[in-house]
Amino acid sequence: MSYTFNWSILWTGQSGGWLLQGLFTTIEISILAWWIAVVLGIGSGAMRTVPVVPLRWAAAAYVEFFRNVPLLVWMFFWYFAVPPLLPDAVREWLFDHGAEFWAALCALGVYHGARFSEVIRAGIQAIPKTQFEAAVSTGLTVTQAYRLIILPIALRLIIPPATNESLNLLKNSSVALTIGVAELTFQTRQIETYTAKAFEALASGTVIYLLLCLTIAALMAQVERRYAIPGMIAQGAVGEN
Amino acid sequence: MKYLIFFLAAPLFLGIAVTTSAETTLKKIDKSGTLVIGTRTGSPPFAYVNKNNEWVGFSIDLVEKAILPALNKKLNKQIKLEKKESAPATRIPLLTSNAVDLIAETMTDTQSRRDSVDFSLTFFATGAQFLVKKGSPIKGIQTIAGKRVAAQQGSTNARIIRERAPSAKLLEFPDQPAAFQALAQGQVQAYTNDGIQLAGLKAKAPKPEEWAVVGEFFSYEPYGMALRKGDSDFRQVVNVGLMDAIESGKYFEIYDKWFGPKGEVPYPLAPETKRFLQMQVVPK
Repeated sequence: MSYTFNWSILWTGQSGGWLLQGLFTTIEISILAWWIAVVLGIGSGAMRTVPVVPLRWAAAAYVEFFRNVPLLVWMFFWYFAVPPLLPDAVREWLFDHGAEFWAALCALGVYHGARFSEVIRAGIQAIPKTQFEAAVSTGLTVTQAYRLIILPIALRLIIPPATNESLNLLKNSSVALTIGVAELTFQTRQIETYTAKAFEALASGTVIYLLLCLTIAALMAQVERRYAIPGMIAQGAVGEN
Repeated sequence: MKYLIFFLAAPLFLGIAVTTSAETTLKKIDKSGTLVIGTRTGSPPFAYVNKNNEWVGFSIDLVEKAILPALNKKLNKQIKLEKKESAPATRIPLLTSNAVDLIAETMTDTQSRRDSVDFSLTFFATGAQFLVKKGSPIKGIQTIAGKRVAAQQGSTNARIIRERAPSAKLLEFPDQPAAFQALAQGQVQAYTNDGIQLAGLKAKAPKPEEWAVVGEFFSYEPYGMALRKGDSDFRQVVNVGLMDAIESGKYFEIYDKWFGPKGEVPYPLAPETKRFLQMQVVPK
């Protein structure tokens, strides 16, 4: 009953092309969703710390609502529950132009926006309050203080947890296969069902995800090295100053 | 670098660890006292969860009433049945990793699948068709060019659509409920699957009269129960169970319960299908 490995199924036939297509879809959806998440995250994360109560409530409501419902449910929500609310013509157009991709993008971006928001808020709250007071006392408005002083510092503080969130986002993009998005995990399953070689197909997916994540981690480490504020994020043993 | 290689190779070791246990399935069942099957929750009437929240169906009945008795006789004790959920994409790994011993649902026996698993006798035969809204312009595989068509990921039908109607926009879903939902809402204009399953889905829909199963069979789908490759003793028990049921007429009673005029999905047994089933029974 032992299993015979046949790695050549990964490059014979259509498999190679499928893997590449899946890889591109994963990268595409992850990058687009990352931008949505970062914009929503910075916006709502900053709003949660401003001295205007309604804004804080609105941002808190967004974060709690979106991060406390499973991503899978959001996938179904954007794909099945949102289209009926759209005008007929828009809906038909969307269905003809990859509605599943856009639904998955919204689901992933908005969900991770809520999670990024908490990271940003933590970053802002790590900055001593006096920094903000000093900024305002020089004559800056609240918006200017955030844009010019608080956010630039906060963004440089949160690089390590932001790396973590970015990796999560990439891996969570695999949930999109439930609504038919042909991303990397979908394609590995496709290969597996065509060739019935489960371990080879899943191993190839594993290796690709691992390489993608290691690449992101390496990039973010570069960013950290370049932009870290000396003394504010510990940089391992050698970074003491 | 050394570590990197270890990480890259880890899934490989995992693969070997779970697949090289030399124990035969019969020994495993004898030891645990349980037959573990992989089956479906959303494929009426073969395997689904009914209104009373019971996990039932034609395929499950065949296991309970034909295969379990044969297994009890062979091992000389009462074997319990345990059901696990399987899907087209997971059923072969479930088998090869020993998580289940038998796949009893709606799996088509194919030559390429026989490279990885073994199959029992054919216990049902059907072919692919389309489920559409009543009055849809889609009438079969000739009329789906440019249309949005849903299929179940990993099914033989998806492969045929890809080959024979490459201009159709094929959208694949991991399970039947999601695909049907997409059809109901208009994300897709047709859903292709084996005719009998579409008939089952239609019968279970809130308003069955709104749906139509259309088109000639564009594939041949003989259903078999899948087993781990090279385990002929267990396969023999499964086949003997099925053959006894066909010979004694029990199979046709079960068929009638699910597909008869009063069954879940009325689908009369064609005389040639009946003959085909009977001819699979070899003499004792």
